[in-house]
Amino acid sequence: MTQDAVYAELVAATNYSFLRGASHPADMVLQAAALGLSAIGIADRNSVAGVVRAWVAVKKAKAENVLPPAFRLVTGSRLVFADGTPDIVAYPKNRKGWGRLTRLLTVGNMRSNKGGCILRFDDLAGYLEDLLLIILPQSTAEETNPHKNPVEYSHADGGEKLRLVEATPADLDEVMLRLKKLAPDRVWLGICMHGRGKDRRRLEEQRAVAKQCDVPILAVNDALYADVTARPLHDVLTAIRLGVSVDQAGTRLEANAERYLKSPAEMTRLFARAPEAIAESQKFLNQIAFDLSQLKYEYPNEPVPGGWAPQDWLEHLVRSEAERRHPDGLPPKWVRALDEEFTLVRQKNYACYFLTVHDIVHFARSQDPPILCQGRGSAANSVICYLLGITSVDPVANNLLFSRFLSEERDEPPDIDVDFEHERREEVMQYVYRRFKRHRAGIAATVIHYRPRSTVREVGKAIGLTEDVTARLAGTVWGSFGRDLPEARLIEAGFDPDNPHIARLHVFVGQLLDFPRHLSQHVGGYVLTENRLDETVPIHNGAMADRTFIEWDKDDIDALNLLKVDILALGMLTCIRKSFEMLRQTGGGDYSLDSVPTEDPAVYAMLQNGDSIGTFQVESRAQINMLPRLKPKTFYDLVIQIAIVRPGPIEGDMVHPYLRRRNGEEKVEYPSPAPPHDPNELHDILYRTCGVPLFQEQAMKLAMVAAAFTPDEANGLRRAMATFRNSGTMPEYKDKMINGMVQRGYQQDFAERCYKQIEGFGSYGFPESHAQAFAHLVYISSWLKCHHPAIFTAALLNSQPMGFYAPAQLVQDARNHQVDVRAIDVNFSAWDNEIEASALRLGLRQIGGFHKDWAVAIAAARPFTSLEELARKAKLPARALHLLADADALRSLNLDRRAGGWEARRTPSDELPLFAAADARELAQEPEIALPVMPVSEHVAADYQMTRMSLKGHPMEFLRDMFAAEGILTCAQTDAAKHGARVKTAGAVLTRQRPGKGNAIFITIEDETGVTNALLWSRLFERQRRAVMASRLMVIEGEVQRSKEGVVHLMATHITDRSHELERLSHDHDVNVPFSRSDEFAQPVYPRHGHPRDVRLLPKSRDFH
Amino acid sequence: MVEKQRGAMRLAACDPAALALGLSGGMALADARARVPELAVFDHDPAADLDLLGWIADGCERYSPACMIDPPQGLLIDITGCTYHFGDDGVRLAKDLKQRLRRHGLTGQIALGATPDSARAKARYAKQAIHALPVEALDAGDKVHQALRRAGLKTLQDLACRPRKAFAARFGKATVVTLARLLEEEDARITPRRHVPVVSVTQNFAEPISRTHDVLDTIATLTGKAAAQLNDGSQGGRRFEVSLFRSDGHIARLAVDTGAPTRDSALLMRLIRERIDALSDPLDPGFGYDLIQLTVPTADILLPSQAGLDTKVDRSAQTEALIDRLSVRLGRDRVRYFEERNSHIPERAVVECAAQSGQPQKDWPKPAEAEPPMRPFRLFETPQRVEALASIPDGPPRQFRWRKSLHHIVAYEGPERIAAEWWRRKAGHEQGKGGPTRDYYRVEDSEGRRFWLFRHGLYSETDAPIWYLHGLFA
Repeated sequence: MTQDAVYAELVAATNYSFLRGASHPADMVLQAAALGLSAIGIADRNSVAGVVRAWVAVKKAKAENVLPPAFRLVTGSRLVFADGTPDIVAYPKNRKGWGRLTRLLTVGNMRSNKGGCILRFDDLAGYLEDLLLIILPQSTAEETNPHKNPVEYSHADGGEKLRLVEATPADLDEVMLRLKKLAPDRVWLGICMHGRGKDRRRLEEQRAVAKQCDVPILAVNDALYADVTARPLHDVLTAIRLGVSVDQAGTRLEANAERYLKSPAEMTRLFARAPEAIAESQKFLNQIAFDLSQLKYEYPNEPVPGGWAPQDWLEHLVRSEAERRHPDGLPPKWVRALDEEFTLVRQKNYACYFLTVHDIVHFARSQDPPILCQGRGSAANSVICYLLGITSVDPVANNLLFSRFLSEERDEPPDIDVDFEHERREEVMQYVYRRFKRHRAGIAATVIHYRPRSTVREVGKAIGLTEDVTARLAGTVWGSFGRDLPEARLIEAGFDPDNPHIARLHVFVGQLLDFPRHLSQHVGGYVLTENRLDETVPIHNGAMADRTFIEWDKDDIDALNLLKVDILALGMLTCIRKSFEMLRQTGGGDYSLDSVPTEDPAVYAMLQNGDSIGTFQVESRAQINMLPRLKPKTFYDLVIQIAIVRPGPIEGDMVHPYLRRRNGEEKVEYPSPAPPHDPNELHDILYRTCGVPLFQEQAMKLAMVAAAFTPDEANGLRRAMATFRNSGTMPEYKDKMINGMVQRGYQQDFAERCYKQIEGFGSYGFPESHAQAFAHLVYISSWLKCHHPAIFTAALLNSQPMGFYAPAQLVQDARNHQVDVRAIDVNFSAWDNEIEASALRLGLRQIGGFHKDWAVAIAAARPFTSLEELARKAKLPARALHLLADADALRSLNLDRRAGGWEARRTPSDELPLFAAADARELAQEPEIALPVMPVSEHVAADYQMTRMSLKGHPMEFLRDMFAAEGILTCAQTDAAKHGARVKTAGAVLTRQRPGKGNAIFITIEDETGVTNALLWSRLFERQRRAVMASRLMVIEGEVQRSKEGVVHLMATHITDRSHELERLSHDHDVNVPFSRSDEFAQPVYPRHGHPRDVRLLPKSRDFH
Repeated sequence: MVEKQRGAMRLAACDPAALALGLSGGMALADARARVPELAVFDHDPAADLDLLGWIADGCERYSPACMIDPPQGLLIDITGCTYHFGDDGVRLAKDLKQRLRRHGLTGQIALGATPDSARAKARYAKQAIHALPVEALDAGDKVHQALRRAGLKTLQDLACRPRKAFAARFGKATVVTLARLLEEEDARITPRRHVPVVSVTQNFAEPISRTHDVLDTIATLTGKAAAQLNDGSQGGRRFEVSLFRSDGHIARLAVDTGAPTRDSALLMRLIRERIDALSDPLDPGFGYDLIQLTVPTADILLPSQAGLDTKVDRSAQTEALIDRLSVRLGRDRVRYFEERNSHIPERAVVECAAQSGQPQKDWPKPAEAEPPMRPFRLFETPQRVEALASIPDGPPRQFRWRKSLHHIVAYEGPERIAAEWWRRKAGHEQGKGGPTRDYYRVEDSEGRRFWLFRHGLYSETDAPIWYLHGLFA
């Protein structure tokens, strides 16, 4: 073995060459360094998606001194051509070369459907300046999928020279000769020794050809995985890619395990007959001067008017707004806050960023009608954002922590998230593309990782398990979203973990979890640049029309210090806008987000009763339970209300102490440090929450003040709290924090409790600024619900899908609030739900499958006196008539559901041209057929089937006698029962949820008298799984538990599935009482502390789309 | 029973126990599993169901020649004029059928009706009163059923008592016709199931015959007749079926298949004789056969071919005839040919298959021009162990000893590295348990002989790899 062999592997793929590479980028680079390679070149198939992760891994490892300082990472891409040109690996020499490479990839991406890239030799010829090229002797291309209507995208930037189109070269010699001519001294021929039998012969042949063309040869291993042991995993990936099982893939798998990273000594031995090929790797490397850290980033300059510097313009805008709000001069607190922020923004050069967000928000507000929007998240900590109108929370008045948003120590860009109305967000997104052009704006990517379900299914198929076995295995993963497939789950599902197939599945699933699966677009995070974005990162077509996104995700963007603006969608904003509009139309007043009367006691009184169905955030089951206990009286109570019903405070056990202190059952105290420290230091932080830390900022401040953390460390703590991936670093902070507090004179016991509470945030806590921003919408939605329930319900229905509840529950709630709800009718209903003389008239949109243009035609052609007239005047097709009849919307034509349906059957739909002239009635009178009368129960069933609700009654009404005879109580009776009483209640199932750690299942059932909330412990659940999962109508037996606030729970012991009783109502209509949108069994949601994909600083509420 | 329907695994059929648990056909397997985790499922096999139905239909030919399969689960028998065995009593016939089915472990729902439609509907809904049946009995499609039910018309009674014109206007004439048939107002005949064979020749006997010799003679006569009929149509049979109807009602059926269309009665007789000889249970004539029938269910075009004067022999036809003959005599699985299989492992790259199972593979990969063959001409089924001397770790062999003689290697090419198929081993996915990797070398010894050797196991896998000789080049 020669110890002094110097070699760099220049063709290595990561698992971002989807289903081809079998190692994470970080594993690849660390293994390369461990083997003593002088460098590694990461080149994924037509992509640079994985390079940032590799680069971060190198940076981190170097910082920790585990990598030799001389070790280098070079980043490029393996170009796979669709025209038969052999694969060419391209590395940029310098920053300019990187730009050429990413633009080249963008050209290919734009031709293809999402995820693909269609390149031709000619494209390379157009973009090969400053690229070093390694030709690999064969092509690994596969069939490609061109995009049918590519978005308009300008590739040209005027710098192109005129050149002839390069045809596809015929063979390897020609590729070399032509490239040599186009790029002298920048072409290599890569040669692999993969143990194919004739390696040596081929080496000699290719060496001869290369010599003829004057192209140096380069030893490469075309590595697909870091370590030789990854071969089985690679075979499984190949099988998944081919869609067959491993034993059927046969020769399409690699013949051996030689595609691992090899040490310099081994490569030297393999290339013993061509030492020049080994030496060439160093020469190649020496020509590369590019590193990802050179990606300098410029924020777009557009929003600044001529003659202004961005910073000055920003200060001008903000200060004039501040003066407008404080005509008598700014209070000193404001002056200080503004000075602090401006200094930092100037120092960090973020002025353009703020101006860009301001520009987008300004666009939204200037539309007619304006698109409602509101900043959320940590941006609400900033006075600048407040004054620019991006956020609606006054950070000075609320004493918010600016450093949570932006700090000097922290070298990371700020993150401004803005919510827009969900139905109109697309307008804003297209505006961004228009304003900055496609080559300067792109949505960030989201890397879709392998999740347990998909992994089990795909791996199972690849190792030859039958579909029902994998389906069953995938099914058992429900509720568990861990990194692993726990053995207990297998046993639960009736599989023996020691069975070889199952063991194999288990191992591969473990290995494949967390592998990237494909790229998707982020929900709304835009990256915008002053210069060409496609010279920084390749751009892809999205799956949705007119969307383009970049190849890097949020973490990559953070790592490279690129800034992003999140343009998010919020259903409640749509609902609020629609409510305001209806208020204006009905003369109820002209309101906007800031002009709704504040601190209205009626609103709080309503919320204190737990009457919050339909409102923003506080409408969930847990929130409704909390409202009567917390009894919000002021706006700040709403902020707490939002923040307290979160896994963080609940698992940190902060809820009960807070409630006790708030209700005066426990003394509010603030532990003090030993002198000489300020004894009141904690009081200032915690006084607003009765001494219990509830918000992220409080946890940070607590660490900074009580344990003397630097802001930087506090922020590290916050990140550790927010991302479970870093949970490994929490213990570090534990010692530091507890020791820090004890040293400053706090009790050990108190310090530990504080830490424990902070740890609870690991499963998400809210930053106060975010809670403030959301509380604003909670208040407005509650105000609407309180004072204009009909309008609010109409707006909610018109904004579906959103929120927690199905239309039936929203309508029921409105009727409980004395809203007169009127049925759908062709002579009165429009598409939307509307207000008709202070009553709510249901709209045609409630009919499943009805089209908007039918509704518009109906509204335009009104009134009608017969079905035939309706069909003729509104030109409705037969389907529309049938839907109207089935929805019982023809009552004003004197047709009930049956008669309407019967009549519709013979009514000719769209007028035939032949009869167009004849205006006379075409249909002869028919003999009276005397249809049987439809019982009400059947009407109700049909209503549910067609419109998912009924105004005629509740399905339970018709079963009441039967249930009453069995001694089963109504929900109202249960609600009135004594604490401790054993009762049976029946109802239609609204939601089943299994929150947090899954110890309990929450079930809500509904009958004609109201709802009952039941709780079933999970050990009881397992025994009654079938009943819980299959029931649409269930009987719950259990004990009534009544809290002192009067909240009633039924502690379920026994659940019976009585769904079949619903058939008694009607044999012809499925009584499909819809589950509410929060039902986790019908729409599984993954628990929050789950997969890295779901990790956000802010948890996704169910409301965001 | 499960089946893939609309992209999801769904229950296709349930046994009584599953039905009792509330499962039903059409339910997604995942949902069913969630409710009954211990559910046992099997793949639904509609073809097997149809086979069984065909078998039952065969048996029912005892009642009437006019049987018709009504897929997926029904059987229609026209018993008009066939009930004399049962005293002209259809009910007794039905009882007899029910008993016979029960003996075979089958549960049937049997109904009598004046029209096939009414009988089918009664059986399906297990009701004898046609007026009480739901409108679904119309079998007119979900949309029509739904429309009728939505109009409150739920039973045939509701339809029967209303003017038909209104239905025709809405649901078309066909619905009204079906209704009339259901109500036994209008009749329709069934199409018997046994489709008309290409050729069918029969021989009736006044006295049942029982000697094998007689039977064979009769068959020979029949094949001659059949061959003549086939010749008229320029056809050759692909399948020949002999049905021996015993006087007690039992039917024995023999069938021979041929690889190529034929009408050579001598060849056929040879095949039939071999088939009779090869029967595990010899023909049991019982009280004798009263009718023998030869049918040709499938036939292909076979143009008469002129044998040339030089009597050039058609080799492929001969091969096929030989394969047919050998297969009939030795058993289908005993005559075999090679087929390429998808594997890197040399001995698994090619497998044997039954010669009658399909066309032998013709497109074997052709070696590239000017490339020496990478695989030997002769491959040992079991690689032969040799002692070899080679440099460590993965150098080529210098010399090896095979069958006691020592070969000095003067030239080599390799290694060609082929890893073991880890998925065939119990814990093959675990490190070091996937099986040893092979390093193949093509070598030439000092006397010019060429061998294919491999080292079994890399040094990273084993300390002492063993060498094998796996094949000989020409």
